[in-house]
Amino acid sequence: MTHIKAEQPLSYLTNQLWGGNQILVAILGICSALGVTNRLSVAVTMGLAVSFVTAFSSFFVSLLRNITPDSVRMITQLTIISVFVIIIDQFLQAYFYSISKVMSVFVGLIITNCLVMGRAEGMAKNVPPIPAFLDGLGAGLGYAGVLFVIGAIRELFGFGQLFGYQIVPLHWYASLEFPDAYENLSIMVSPSAAFFLLGGMIGIYNWIDRK
Amino acid sequence: MPQEYTEKGERSVSEQQLSDKNSNSYTLVFITVLSIIAAIILSLLASVLEAPKVVAKDLDRSRQMMIAANILDREGSFLIDDGKGKPKKARLENGKLVAKSVDNIATQEQLLGIYKDRLQPLLVDSAGKLTTFEAAHINEQEYVSAHRKMGYYKQPLKLIYKILPQEKNNSDKELYANAAGWVIPMNGFGLWDAIYGYLAIASDGITVLGMTWYDHKETPGLGANIADAYWQEFFPGKKIFQQDASGNIDLNTAPLGITVVRGKVSEVYGSSSKANSAIDGMAGATLTGNGVTDAYTDVLKAYRPFLKHVNASYSTNKKEATS
Repeated sequence: MTHIKAEQPLSYLTNQLWGGNQILVAILGICSALGVTNRLSVAVTMGLAVSFVTAFSSFFVSLLRNITPDSVRMITQLTIISVFVIIIDQFLQAYFYSISKVMSVFVGLIITNCLVMGRAEGMAKNVPPIPAFLDGLGAGLGYAGVLFVIGAIRELFGFGQLFGYQIVPLHWYASLEFPDAYENLSIMVSPSAAFFLLGGMIGIYNWIDRK
Repeated sequence: MPQEYTEKGERSVSEQQLSDKNSNSYTLVFITVLSIIAAIILSLLASVLEAPKVVAKDLDRSRQMMIAANILDREGSFLIDDGKGKPKKARLENGKLVAKSVDNIATQEQLLGIYKDRLQPLLVDSAGKLTTFEAAHINEQEYVSAHRKMGYYKQPLKLIYKILPQEKNNSDKELYANAAGWVIPMNGFGLWDAIYGYLAIASDGITVLGMTWYDHKETPGLGANIADAYWQEFFPGKKIFQQDASGNIDLNTAPLGITVVRGKVSEVYGSSSKANSAIDGMAGATLTGNGVTDAYTDVLKAYRPFLKHVNASYSTNKKEATS
């Protein structure tokens, strides 16, 4: 499963993208994957925000790993993670206000996203800062990739759009004259659709991985 | 893995350091220093980003008011109302809005320019007399930021925004004349915290042009739907004065407000005239809906004399136009 080679720091990053993907393999970070994927723009912002937080918090957890007392290890990790989450939250509020309004509590909830802490505890506290940084970045990007796929499917079938641009031609839609024509799938708008899609993706992953 | 070995090698060398590392005093010092560093970083960041955050919030408020007043659509392009049906998409050309069928997302400067041209802040007293901020010797910015939390409707001089028609400038002597509509700032309480919004009324003082809620802390996916387009678009065309059984409105006695019902309006009121002043509720957000209903009732009550004046001026204008 794992393909990490210590002499190749980049393998820390690539391993996270597929072989050790946090959502598909470790089944972490599911909650936000259900909550913020009904629009692509929000899913991409969330993916980038988590990548930033995981990368930098892993870096600093690793930097402090030799001086961190064992008894307060997790509190230290949480403090570092919270600092970066608040940085992202404040930055979005100042420069991307409309996106920050849509994301609302989900930015703050990155703190409780299990994959961030999972990387800090599972990898960053055992390796030097650079591999830890690459591992965190890879974990975030792997998460972002899954969110992107789910977000694209949900927005395309739920709204007929991608990034807010109309993709499905408007004249395909059902009207009073043609009530049997195309209609948006309303289930795609609700979080349950993300649950089914995620299950499907995990199934496909396991099928490919077994070969 | 070679990584593991070096890691363990380091540890055995610094055995002494390890025992120190887990002493109580070291742990206390470590956590204190860590907290102080984190606190310094975050407070520096907060003070640096304070100014852009205020700008972003002000811009958002202006945007939301223009959306309520049908000057801007939710994607960010300007709208103009040519008097024929729905407002049409428009583009800014030489300082004037020209109808264009394509999307043109307005820039920040254009937005603020049109906001200044089309929305005139005014004050109205409890008898319905309108004054400008200059005439009342009140600083507009101070007034607007000082009373936002408490609610303008509780003040002796209440805030109101006049929507100016595209061609008119704001030099009218008679302040009630030539309005394309009015925007009333809204205050209320949702389930968790205060909610803030705007309600735009057409020039007759009765029909809703549009509404928005720009600041709230309701539950995402449930009560937070009050800020979503699909729900806000139920409002245009509703009457803030309730019609009696025969469809007439007595401005002095008719109940004021818009009721958010539980479930669908058509199921609760059927074809009764009350349906014209009611909105479909949101599933799972009954308390937020009640908060919205209360907000409309409380705020509009304070504006009743003003709304009567608006309607009177509208009726005389109509008579002059037809005679």
